Amino acid sequence: MTDHGKDDTGTRILIDGLGKTYRRDGKDTEAIEDISLEIRQGELVSFIGPSGCGKTTLLKLIAGLIPPTGGTVEIDGRSCTTPGADRGMVFQDFALLPWRSVRKNVELGLEIAGVPKAERRERAENYIKLVGLEKFADSKVYELSGGMKQRVAIARSLVVRPDVVLMDEPFGALDAQTRNIMQAQLIDILGSTDQTIIFITHSVDEAIYLSDRIVVLTKRPTTIREIIDIPWERPRDRSAPEFNVLKKRILDYLEKENVMEN
Amino acid sequence: MLAAVSLVLLLLLWQFLSVLIDRTVVPTPLETWDALVELFRIGDPMSGRSVWTYIRSSLGTFLKGFVLAFAVAFPLGLILGYSKILRELVEPAFEVLRPIAPVAWAPVFVVLLGYVLGPMMVVFVGIFFPLITSVIFGVTKIDPNWIDATRTLGATRIQTFVKVYIPSSIPYLMNGVKTGLGIGWMCIVSAELYASPVGGLGFFISNQAQVGYWPGVFAGIVIIGILGIITVGLSDYLHKTLSKRMGMDA
Repeated sequence: MTDHGKDDTGTRILIDGLGKTYRRDGKDTEAIEDISLEIRQGELVSFIGPSGCGKTTLLKLIAGLIPPTGGTVEIDGRSCTTPGADRGMVFQDFALLPWRSVRKNVELGLEIAGVPKAERRERAENYIKLVGLEKFADSKVYELSGGMKQRVAIARSLVVRPDVVLMDEPFGALDAQTRNIMQAQLIDILGSTDQTIIFITHSVDEAIYLSDRIVVLTKRPTTIREIIDIPWERPRDRSAPEFNVLKKRILDYLEKENVMEN
Repeated sequence: MLAAVSLVLLLLLWQFLSVLIDRTVVPTPLETWDALVELFRIGDPMSGRSVWTYIRSSLGTFLKGFVLAFAVAFPLGLILGYSKILRELVEPAFEVLRPIAPVAWAPVFVVLLGYVLGPMMVVFVGIFFPLITSVIFGVTKIDPNWIDATRTLGATRIQTFVKVYIPSSIPYLMNGVKTGLGIGWMCIVSAELYASPVGGLGFFISNQAQVGYWPGVFAGIVIIGILGIITVGLSDYLHKTLSKRMGMDA
Protein backbone atom coordinates (compact mmCIF):
# COMPACT_ATOMS: atom_id res chain seq x y z
CA MET A 1 0.00 0.00 0.00
CA THR A 2 1.54 3.29 -0.95
CA ASP A 3 0.22 6.67 -1.89
CA HIS A 4 -3.53 6.27 -2.62
CA GLY A 5 -2.91 8.04 -5.94
CA LYS A 6 -1.31 11.09 -4.44
CA ASP A 7 2.15 12.56 -4.73
CA ASP A 8 4.45 10.34 -2.71
CA THR A 9 7.40 12.63 -2.31
CA GLY A 10 6.06 16.13 -1.78
CA THR A 11 4.89 17.82 1.35
CA ARG A 12 1.81 16.17 2.71
CA ILE A 13 0.95 18.27 5.77
CA LEU A 14 1.55 21.99 5.94
CA ILE A 15 1.20 23.64 9.32
CA ASP A 16 1.52 27.39 8.96
CA GLY A 17 1.58 29.88 11.81
CA LEU A 18 -0.75 27.73 13.90
CA GLY A 19 -1.84 29.33 17.16
CA LYS A 20 -4.45 28.76 19.83
CA THR A 21 -5.54 31.17 22.53
CA TYR A 22 -8.18 30.07 25.01
CA ARG A 23 -10.52 32.68 26.37
CA ARG A 24 -12.01 31.81 29.72
CA ASP A 25 -13.83 34.26 32.02
CA GLY A 26 -12.63 37.14 29.88
CA LYS A 27 -8.99 36.13 30.34
CA ASP A 28 -6.81 35.02 27.47
CA THR A 29 -4.46 32.07 27.84
CA GLU A 30 -2.12 31.55 24.95
CA ALA A 31 -1.65 27.78 24.65
CA ILE A 32 0.14 27.71 21.33
CA GLU A 33 1.86 30.78 20.03
CA ASP A 34 3.12 29.94 16.59
CA ILE A 35 3.90 26.60 15.00
CA SER A 36 4.98 26.13 11.41
CA LEU A 37 6.09 22.79 10.00
CA GLU A 38 6.00 20.67 6.87
CA ILE A 39 5.57 16.93 7.10
CA ARG A 40 6.27 14.56 4.24
CA GLN A 41 4.30 11.51 3.16
CA GLY A 42 5.27 8.46 5.21
CA GLU A 43 7.15 10.41 7.85
CA LEU A 44 6.87 9.74 11.55
CA VAL A 45 7.19 13.03 13.36
CA SER A 46 6.96 13.19 17.11
CA PHE A 47 6.31 16.18 19.30
CA ILE A 48 7.93 16.32 22.66
CA GLY A 49 7.94 19.09 25.20
CA PRO A 50 7.74 20.04 28.86
CA SER A 51 4.59 19.04 30.76
CA GLY A 52 1.53 21.11 29.99
CA CYS A 53 3.01 22.53 26.80
CA GLY A 54 -0.17 22.08 24.79
CA LYS A 55 0.84 18.98 22.83
CA THR A 56 -2.67 17.56 22.90
CA THR A 57 -4.08 20.93 21.89
CA LEU A 58 -1.76 20.89 18.90
CA LEU A 59 -2.95 17.44 17.88
CA LYS A 60 -6.60 18.39 18.26
CA LEU A 61 -5.99 21.45 16.08
CA ILE A 62 -4.56 19.25 13.34
CA ALA A 63 -7.46 16.81 13.78
CA GLY A 64 -9.87 19.72 13.37
CA LEU A 65 -11.53 18.89 16.68
CA ILE A 66 -10.96 22.43 17.91
CA PRO A 67 -10.60 25.58 15.78
CA PRO A 68 -7.30 27.49 15.75
CA THR A 69 -7.21 31.17 16.65
CA GLY A 70 -4.45 31.73 14.12
CA GLY A 71 -2.78 30.04 11.19
CA THR A 72 -3.79 27.01 9.13
CA VAL A 73 -3.30 23.27 8.74
CA GLU A 74 -3.48 21.85 5.24
CA ILE A 75 -3.20 18.36 3.84
CA ASP A 76 -2.50 18.33 0.11
CA GLY A 77 -3.87 21.86 -0.04
CA ARG A 78 -7.11 20.95 1.77
CA SER A 79 -7.75 22.98 4.86
CA CYS A 80 -8.32 20.96 8.07
CA THR A 81 -10.85 23.02 9.96
CA THR A 82 -13.22 20.15 10.77
CA PRO A 83 -12.46 16.51 11.60
CA GLY A 84 -12.34 14.11 8.70
CA ALA A 85 -11.51 10.51 7.93
CA ASP A 86 -8.26 11.70 6.28
CA ARG A 87 -6.85 12.32 9.78
CA GLY A 88 -7.19 9.35 12.11
CA MET A 89 -6.57 9.63 15.80
CA VAL A 90 -5.29 7.25 18.49
CA PHE A 91 -5.88 8.20 22.10
CA GLN A 92 -3.92 7.49 25.27
CA ASP A 93 -6.95 5.86 26.90
CA PHE A 94 -7.74 3.94 23.66
CA ALA A 95 -11.26 5.45 23.35
CA LEU A 96 -12.73 2.18 22.14
CA LEU A 97 -16.50 1.84 22.32
CA PRO A 98 -16.93 -0.75 25.09
CA TRP A 99 -20.22 -2.16 23.80
CA ARG A 100 -18.63 -3.15 20.52
CA SER A 101 -16.51 -6.21 19.90
CA VAL A 102 -12.96 -5.85 18.56
CA ARG A 103 -14.26 -6.43 15.04
CA LYS A 104 -17.08 -3.93 15.44
CA ASN A 105 -14.72 -1.30 16.80
CA VAL A 106 -12.44 -1.71 13.82
CA GLU A 107 -15.43 -1.55 11.48
CA LEU A 108 -16.72 1.71 12.99
CA GLY A 109 -15.07 4.05 10.48
CA LEU A 110 -16.16 1.85 7.59
CA GLU A 111 -19.76 1.90 8.83
CA ILE A 112 -19.57 5.68 8.97
CA ALA A 113 -18.24 5.78 5.42
CA GLY A 114 -21.13 3.56 4.29
CA VAL A 115 -18.95 0.64 3.19
CA PRO A 116 -21.10 -2.44 2.43
CA LYS A 117 -21.15 -5.14 5.09
CA ALA A 118 -19.15 -7.84 3.31
CA GLU A 119 -16.36 -5.45 2.33
CA ARG A 120 -16.39 -3.95 5.80
CA ARG A 121 -15.81 -7.35 7.33
CA GLU A 122 -13.02 -8.24 4.97
CA ARG A 123 -11.17 -4.96 5.37
CA ALA A 124 -11.51 -5.03 9.14
CA GLU A 125 -10.26 -8.61 9.15
CA ASN A 126 -7.10 -7.55 7.32
CA TYR A 127 -6.25 -4.88 9.83
CA ILE A 128 -7.12 -7.08 12.80
CA LYS A 129 -4.58 -9.53 11.38
CA LEU A 130 -2.10 -6.72 10.82
CA VAL A 131 -2.14 -5.91 14.54
CA GLY A 132 -2.09 -9.61 15.43
CA LEU A 133 -5.51 -9.90 17.06
CA GLU A 134 -7.25 -12.36 14.74
CA LYS A 135 -7.90 -14.71 17.66
CA PHE A 136 -9.68 -11.91 19.52
CA ALA A 137 -11.83 -10.51 16.71
CA ASP A 138 -15.04 -11.35 18.53
CA SER A 139 -13.82 -10.50 22.02
CA LYS A 140 -15.29 -7.70 24.02
CA VAL A 141 -13.07 -4.71 24.70
CA TYR A 142 -13.04 -5.28 28.48
CA GLU A 143 -11.59 -8.73 27.95
CA LEU A 144 -8.41 -7.30 26.41
CA SER A 145 -5.18 -6.08 28.00
CA GLY A 146 -4.11 -2.46 27.59
CA GLY A 147 -1.63 -3.28 24.83
CA MET A 148 -4.26 -5.25 22.94
CA LYS A 149 -6.77 -2.43 23.30
CA GLN A 150 -4.33 0.01 21.79
CA ARG A 151 -3.67 -2.35 18.89
CA VAL A 152 -7.42 -2.39 18.24
CA ALA A 153 -7.44 1.41 18.29
CA ILE A 154 -4.52 1.51 15.84
CA ALA A 155 -6.32 -0.92 13.54
CA ARG A 156 -9.48 1.16 13.82
CA SER A 157 -7.64 4.29 12.71
CA LEU A 158 -5.69 2.60 9.90
CA VAL A 159 -8.59 0.68 8.35
CA VAL A 160 -10.12 3.82 6.82
CA ARG A 161 -6.75 4.57 5.17
CA PRO A 162 -6.23 8.06 6.53
CA ASP A 163 -3.57 10.36 5.11
CA VAL A 164 -2.16 10.77 8.57
CA VAL A 165 -2.63 9.16 11.97
CA LEU A 166 -2.43 11.45 14.98
CA MET A 167 -1.26 9.58 18.05
CA ASP A 168 -1.76 11.23 21.42
CA GLU A 169 0.62 9.48 23.83
CA PRO A 170 -0.72 6.17 22.60
CA PHE A 171 1.51 4.05 24.83
CA GLY A 172 1.40 6.35 27.86
CA ALA A 173 -1.08 4.18 29.76
CA LEU A 174 0.91 0.98 29.27
CA ASP A 175 3.56 -0.56 31.49
CA ALA A 176 7.18 -0.18 30.41
CA GLN A 177 7.53 -3.69 29.02
CA THR A 178 4.32 -3.59 26.98
CA ARG A 179 5.31 -0.14 25.84
CA ASN A 180 8.58 -1.35 24.29
CA ILE A 181 6.80 -4.22 22.57
CA MET A 182 4.18 -1.85 21.19
CA GLN A 183 6.85 0.49 19.85
CA ALA A 184 8.51 -2.33 17.98
CA GLN A 185 5.14 -3.51 16.67
CA LEU A 186 4.26 0.00 15.53
CA ILE A 187 7.46 0.10 13.50
CA ASP A 188 6.48 -3.25 11.93
CA ILE A 189 2.96 -2.10 11.12
CA LEU A 190 4.19 1.17 9.66
CA GLY A 191 6.81 -0.62 7.61
CA SER A 192 4.00 -2.32 5.74
CA THR A 193 1.76 0.74 5.26
CA ASP A 194 3.93 3.81 4.58
CA GLN A 195 1.60 5.71 6.84
CA THR A 196 2.29 9.30 7.86
CA ILE A 197 2.24 9.63 11.65
CA ILE A 198 2.23 12.53 14.04
CA PHE A 199 3.13 11.20 17.43
CA ILE A 200 2.94 12.87 20.79
CA THR A 201 4.88 11.50 23.72
CA HIS A 202 6.31 12.28 27.11
CA SER A 203 9.04 9.75 26.59
CA VAL A 204 12.26 10.95 24.98
CA ASP A 205 13.35 7.35 24.60
CA GLU A 206 10.18 6.52 22.68
CA ALA A 207 10.52 9.57 20.45
CA ILE A 208 14.10 8.70 19.49
CA TYR A 209 13.25 5.04 18.97
CA LEU A 210 10.33 5.77 16.62
CA SER A 211 10.75 9.09 14.85
CA ASP A 212 12.12 10.33 11.57
CA ARG A 213 12.08 13.75 13.14
CA ILE A 214 11.54 15.01 16.67
CA VAL A 215 9.97 18.40 17.15
CA VAL A 216 10.99 19.76 20.54
CA LEU A 217 8.49 22.26 21.88
CA THR A 218 8.92 25.05 24.41
CA LYS A 219 6.63 25.54 27.40
CA ARG A 220 3.53 27.70 27.03
CA PRO A 221 2.93 29.71 24.93
CA THR A 222 4.26 26.90 22.78
CA THR A 223 6.62 27.34 19.86
CA ILE A 224 9.12 25.03 18.21
CA ARG A 225 12.43 24.98 20.04
CA GLU A 226 14.24 22.75 17.57
CA ILE A 227 13.67 20.02 15.03
CA ILE A 228 15.96 16.99 15.22
CA ASP A 229 16.45 14.69 12.23
CA ILE A 230 17.02 11.04 13.05
CA PRO A 231 18.23 9.26 9.92
CA TRP A 232 19.20 6.02 11.72
CA GLU A 233 18.10 2.61 10.52
CA ARG A 234 15.22 0.84 12.28
CA PRO A 235 14.91 -1.06 14.49
CA ARG A 236 17.10 1.16 16.61
CA ASP A 237 19.47 0.12 19.33
CA ARG A 238 18.59 1.81 22.59
CA SER A 239 22.08 1.11 23.96
CA ALA A 240 23.89 2.79 21.04
CA PRO A 241 26.06 5.75 22.17
CA GLU A 242 24.48 8.25 19.75
CA PHE A 243 21.01 7.21 20.98
CA ASN A 244 21.96 8.07 24.53
CA VAL A 245 23.82 11.26 23.69
CA LEU A 246 20.73 12.58 21.95
CA LYS A 247 18.50 11.35 24.74
CA LYS A 248 20.54 13.17 27.33
CA ARG A 249 20.56 16.39 25.31
CA ILE A 250 16.76 16.45 24.99
CA LEU A 251 16.21 15.38 28.59
CA ASP A 252 18.49 18.14 29.86
CA TYR A 253 16.50 20.70 27.93
CA LEU A 254 13.12 19.40 29.12
CA GLU A 255 14.31 19.25 32.71
CA LYS A 256 15.50 22.84 32.53
CA GLU A 257 12.16 23.99 31.11
CA ASN A 258 10.17 22.04 33.70
CA VAL A 259 12.24 23.42 36.56
CA MET A 260 11.72 26.96 35.31
CA GLU A 261 8.03 26.26 35.21
CA ASN A 262 7.80 25.09 38.82
CA MET B 1 -30.64 -18.28 52.18
CA LEU B 2 -30.73 -15.00 54.06
CA ALA B 3 -33.48 -13.87 51.72
CA ALA B 4 -35.62 -16.79 52.84
CA VAL B 5 -34.94 -15.96 56.50
CA SER B 6 -35.88 -12.37 55.80
CA LEU B 7 -39.22 -13.42 54.28
CA VAL B 8 -40.00 -15.78 57.14
CA LEU B 9 -39.23 -12.98 59.61
CA LEU B 10 -41.59 -10.70 57.70
CA LEU B 11 -44.39 -13.29 57.92
CA LEU B 12 -43.76 -13.77 61.65
CA LEU B 13 -43.86 -10.03 62.22
CA TRP B 14 -47.11 -9.83 60.26
CA GLN B 15 -48.62 -12.66 62.32
CA PHE B 16 -47.49 -11.01 65.53
CA LEU B 17 -48.89 -7.61 64.58
CA SER B 18 -52.23 -8.95 63.40
CA VAL B 19 -52.72 -10.79 66.69
CA LEU B 20 -51.50 -7.78 68.65
CA ILE B 21 -53.56 -5.14 66.81
CA ASP B 22 -56.87 -6.39 65.52
CA ARG B 23 -57.37 -9.54 63.55
CA THR B 24 -60.50 -8.24 61.88
CA VAL B 25 -58.65 -5.32 60.21
CA VAL B 26 -55.23 -6.98 59.92
CA PRO B 27 -55.86 -10.63 59.03
CA THR B 28 -53.07 -13.12 59.67
CA PRO B 29 -50.94 -14.41 56.79
CA LEU B 30 -52.92 -17.67 56.74
CA GLU B 31 -56.27 -15.89 56.58
CA THR B 32 -54.93 -13.75 53.79
CA TRP B 33 -53.70 -16.84 51.97
CA ASP B 34 -57.19 -18.37 52.21
CA ALA B 35 -58.72 -15.17 50.85
CA LEU B 36 -56.17 -15.15 48.05
CA VAL B 37 -57.01 -18.73 47.08
CA GLU B 38 -60.73 -17.93 47.13
CA LEU B 39 -60.12 -14.84 45.05
CA PHE B 40 -58.39 -16.79 42.31
CA ARG B 41 -60.92 -19.67 42.55
CA ILE B 42 -64.22 -17.82 42.44
CA GLY B 43 -63.27 -14.20 41.79
CA ASP B 44 -64.23 -10.97 43.53
CA PRO B 45 -66.73 -11.95 46.26
CA MET B 46 -68.69 -8.74 45.59
CA SER B 47 -68.90 -8.41 41.83
CA GLY B 48 -68.04 -11.97 40.91
CA ARG B 49 -65.50 -10.62 38.46
CA SER B 50 -62.33 -12.64 37.93
CA VAL B 51 -59.28 -11.28 39.72
CA TRP B 52 -57.47 -11.42 36.40
CA THR B 53 -59.73 -8.64 35.12
CA TYR B 54 -58.31 -6.35 37.81
CA ILE B 55 -54.75 -7.45 37.23
CA ARG B 56 -55.07 -7.00 33.47
CA SER B 57 -56.57 -3.57 33.92
CA SER B 58 -53.79 -2.39 36.24
CA LEU B 59 -51.03 -3.88 34.12
CA GLY B 60 -52.56 -2.40 30.98
CA THR B 61 -52.67 1.12 32.43
CA PHE B 62 -49.19 0.65 33.83
CA LEU B 63 -47.76 -0.54 30.52
CA LYS B 64 -49.34 2.29 28.55
CA GLY B 65 -47.97 4.86 31.02
CA PHE B 66 -44.55 3.24 30.83
CA VAL B 67 -44.44 3.13 27.03
CA LEU B 68 -45.49 6.75 26.85
CA ALA B 69 -42.89 7.80 29.44
CA PHE B 70 -40.22 5.81 27.62
CA ALA B 71 -41.15 7.28 24.23
CA VAL B 72 -40.92 10.83 25.58
CA ALA B 73 -38.10 10.55 28.12
CA PHE B 74 -35.51 8.70 26.01
CA PRO B 75 -35.33 11.10 23.04
CA LEU B 76 -35.90 14.16 25.21
CA GLY B 77 -33.21 13.02 27.66
CA LEU B 78 -30.76 12.52 24.79
CA ILE B 79 -31.45 16.00 23.47
CA LEU B 80 -31.21 17.62 26.91
CA GLY B 81 -28.02 15.69 27.64
CA TYR B 82 -26.59 16.82 24.31
CA SER B 83 -27.48 20.50 24.53
CA LYS B 84 -26.21 22.32 27.60
CA ILE B 85 -28.33 25.37 26.78
CA LEU B 86 -31.58 23.40 26.56
CA ARG B 87 -30.64 21.51 29.69
CA GLU B 88 -30.10 24.67 31.68
CA LEU B 89 -33.36 26.00 30.30
CA VAL B 90 -35.45 22.98 31.26
CA GLU B 91 -33.83 21.60 34.42
CA PRO B 92 -35.02 24.28 36.88
CA ALA B 93 -38.60 23.56 35.79
CA PHE B 94 -37.94 19.84 36.30
CA GLU B 95 -36.59 20.52 39.77
CA VAL B 96 -39.87 22.20 40.70
CA LEU B 97 -42.04 19.39 39.31
CA ARG B 98 -39.94 16.40 40.35
CA PRO B 99 -40.62 16.35 44.13
CA ILE B 100 -44.41 16.48 43.65
CA ALA B 101 -45.85 13.03 44.38
CA PRO B 102 -47.25 11.89 41.03
CA VAL B 103 -50.52 10.83 42.62
CA ALA B 104 -51.15 14.45 43.58
CA TRP B 105 -51.92 15.00 39.92
CA ALA B 106 -54.54 12.24 39.91
CA PRO B 107 -57.63 14.44 40.45
CA VAL B 108 -56.48 16.88 37.79
CA PHE B 109 -55.67 14.18 35.25
CA VAL B 110 -58.91 12.29 35.92
CA VAL B 111 -61.02 15.41 35.41
CA LEU B 112 -59.09 16.38 32.28
CA LEU B 113 -58.54 12.97 30.71
CA GLY B 114 -61.10 10.66 32.26
CA TYR B 115 -60.91 7.47 34.27
CA VAL B 116 -58.87 5.52 31.74
CA LEU B 117 -56.24 8.02 30.65
CA GLY B 118 -56.06 9.84 34.00
CA PRO B 119 -54.36 7.04 35.99
CA MET B 120 -52.16 6.31 32.98
CA MET B 121 -50.89 9.89 33.10
CA VAL B 122 -50.12 9.52 36.81
CA VAL B 123 -47.98 6.49 35.95
CA PHE B 124 -46.41 8.50 33.14
CA VAL B 125 -45.35 11.24 35.54
CA GLY B 126 -44.01 8.67 38.02
CA ILE B 127 -41.84 6.95 35.44
CA PHE B 128 -40.92 9.98 33.37
CA PHE B 129 -38.71 11.78 35.89
CA PRO B 130 -36.41 8.94 36.95
CA LEU B 131 -36.13 7.90 33.33
CA ILE B 132 -35.19 11.27 31.89
CA THR B 133 -32.85 12.02 34.81
CA SER B 134 -30.96 8.79 34.13
CA VAL B 135 -30.72 9.42 30.39
CA ILE B 136 -29.43 12.96 30.86
CA PHE B 137 -26.92 11.69 33.40
CA GLY B 138 -25.85 8.96 30.97
CA VAL B 139 -25.25 11.42 28.15
CA THR B 140 -23.21 13.77 30.34
CA LYS B 141 -21.15 10.72 31.40
CA ILE B 142 -20.07 9.90 27.84
CA ASP B 143 -16.30 9.81 27.49
CA PRO B 144 -15.50 12.84 25.28
CA ASN B 145 -12.78 10.75 23.62
CA TRP B 146 -15.45 8.35 22.29
CA ILE B 147 -16.99 11.31 20.52
CA ASP B 148 -13.66 12.65 19.27
CA ALA B 149 -12.62 9.18 18.09
CA THR B 150 -15.86 8.80 16.16
CA ARG B 151 -15.60 12.29 14.67
CA THR B 152 -12.03 11.69 13.51
CA LEU B 153 -13.35 8.64 11.66
CA GLY B 154 -15.43 11.06 9.62
CA ALA B 155 -18.74 10.89 11.49
CA THR B 156 -21.33 13.60 11.00
CA ARG B 157 -23.20 14.94 14.02
CA ILE B 158 -26.10 12.61 13.37
CA GLN B 159 -23.76 9.62 12.96
CA THR B 160 -22.07 10.50 16.26
CA PHE B 161 -25.50 10.58 17.84
CA VAL B 162 -26.43 7.17 16.45
CA LYS B 163 -23.08 5.46 17.03
CA VAL B 164 -22.13 6.93 20.41
CA TYR B 165 -24.83 8.90 22.21
CA ILE B 166 -27.68 6.42 21.83
CA PRO B 167 -25.86 3.16 22.59
CA SER B 168 -23.82 4.57 25.46
CA SER B 169 -26.93 5.91 27.19
CA ILE B 170 -28.79 2.58 27.09
CA PRO B 171 -27.38 1.14 30.36
CA TYR B 172 -28.28 4.40 32.10
CA LEU B 173 -31.71 4.30 30.51
CA MET B 174 -32.19 0.80 31.91
CA ASN B 175 -31.13 1.99 35.33
CA GLY B 176 -33.84 4.66 35.05
CA VAL B 177 -36.35 2.04 33.92
CA LYS B 178 -35.61 0.06 37.07
CA THR B 179 -36.28 3.02 39.34
CA GLY B 180 -39.16 4.23 37.20
CA LEU B 181 -41.01 0.92 37.21
CA GLY B 182 -40.88 0.80 41.00
CA ILE B 183 -42.29 4.29 41.32
CA GLY B 184 -44.76 3.78 38.47
CA TRP B 185 -46.14 0.67 40.10
CA MET B 186 -46.77 2.59 43.32
CA CYS B 187 -48.47 5.29 41.28
CA ILE B 188 -50.86 3.01 39.45
CA VAL B 189 -52.34 1.54 42.59
CA SER B 190 -52.74 4.86 44.33
CA ALA B 191 -54.21 6.48 41.24
CA GLU B 192 -56.74 3.67 40.97
CA LEU B 193 -57.62 3.94 44.64
CA TYR B 194 -58.46 7.48 43.88
CA ALA B 195 -60.27 7.27 40.65
CA SER B 196 -61.06 4.17 38.78
CA PRO B 197 -64.54 2.73 38.49
CA VAL B 198 -63.24 0.95 35.41
CA GLY B 199 -61.27 -1.54 37.50
CA GLY B 200 -57.71 -2.21 38.53
CA LEU B 201 -56.21 -3.56 41.71
CA GLY B 202 -56.39 -0.22 43.50
CA PHE B 203 -60.10 -0.12 42.83
CA PHE B 204 -60.46 -3.70 44.03
CA ILE B 205 -58.73 -2.92 47.32
CA SER B 206 -60.77 0.17 48.06
CA ASN B 207 -63.96 -1.78 47.30
CA GLN B 208 -63.03 -4.57 49.68
CA ALA B 209 -62.24 -1.98 52.37
CA GLN B 210 -65.57 -0.25 51.87
CA VAL B 211 -67.51 -3.42 52.66
CA GLY B 212 -65.09 -4.27 55.47
CA TYR B 213 -63.73 -7.49 53.96
CA TRP B 214 -60.17 -7.09 55.17
CA PRO B 215 -58.74 -10.42 54.05
CA GLY B 216 -59.73 -9.26 50.54
CA VAL B 217 -57.83 -6.00 51.05
CA PHE B 218 -54.74 -7.91 52.14
CA ALA B 219 -55.05 -10.40 49.29
CA GLY B 220 -55.02 -7.40 46.93
CA ILE B 221 -51.98 -5.96 48.69
CA VAL B 222 -50.13 -9.27 48.34
CA ILE B 223 -50.92 -9.43 44.61
CA ILE B 224 -49.61 -5.89 44.17
CA GLY B 225 -46.45 -6.75 46.07
CA ILE B 226 -45.76 -9.84 44.00
CA LEU B 227 -46.37 -8.08 40.68
CA GLY B 228 -44.12 -5.24 41.85
CA ILE B 229 -41.31 -7.64 42.72
CA ILE B 230 -41.63 -9.35 39.33
CA THR B 231 -41.57 -6.05 37.44
CA VAL B 232 -38.61 -4.57 39.28
CA GLY B 233 -36.75 -7.90 39.39
CA LEU B 234 -37.13 -8.30 35.65
CA SER B 235 -35.86 -4.81 34.87
CA ASP B 236 -33.04 -5.22 37.38
CA TYR B 237 -31.96 -8.39 35.61
CA LEU B 238 -32.22 -6.68 32.24
CA HIS B 239 -30.19 -3.71 33.41
CA LYS B 240 -27.46 -5.88 34.90
CA THR B 241 -27.05 -8.22 31.95
CA LEU B 242 -27.20 -5.36 29.46
CA SER B 243 -24.61 -3.25 31.29
CA LYS B 244 -22.33 -6.24 31.55
CA ARG B 245 -22.74 -7.20 27.91
CA MET B 246 -22.05 -3.62 26.88
CA GLY B 247 -18.95 -3.50 29.05
CA MET B 248 -20.27 -0.51 30.93
CA ASP B 249 -20.71 0.28 34.58
CA ALA B 250 -23.90 2.29 34.78
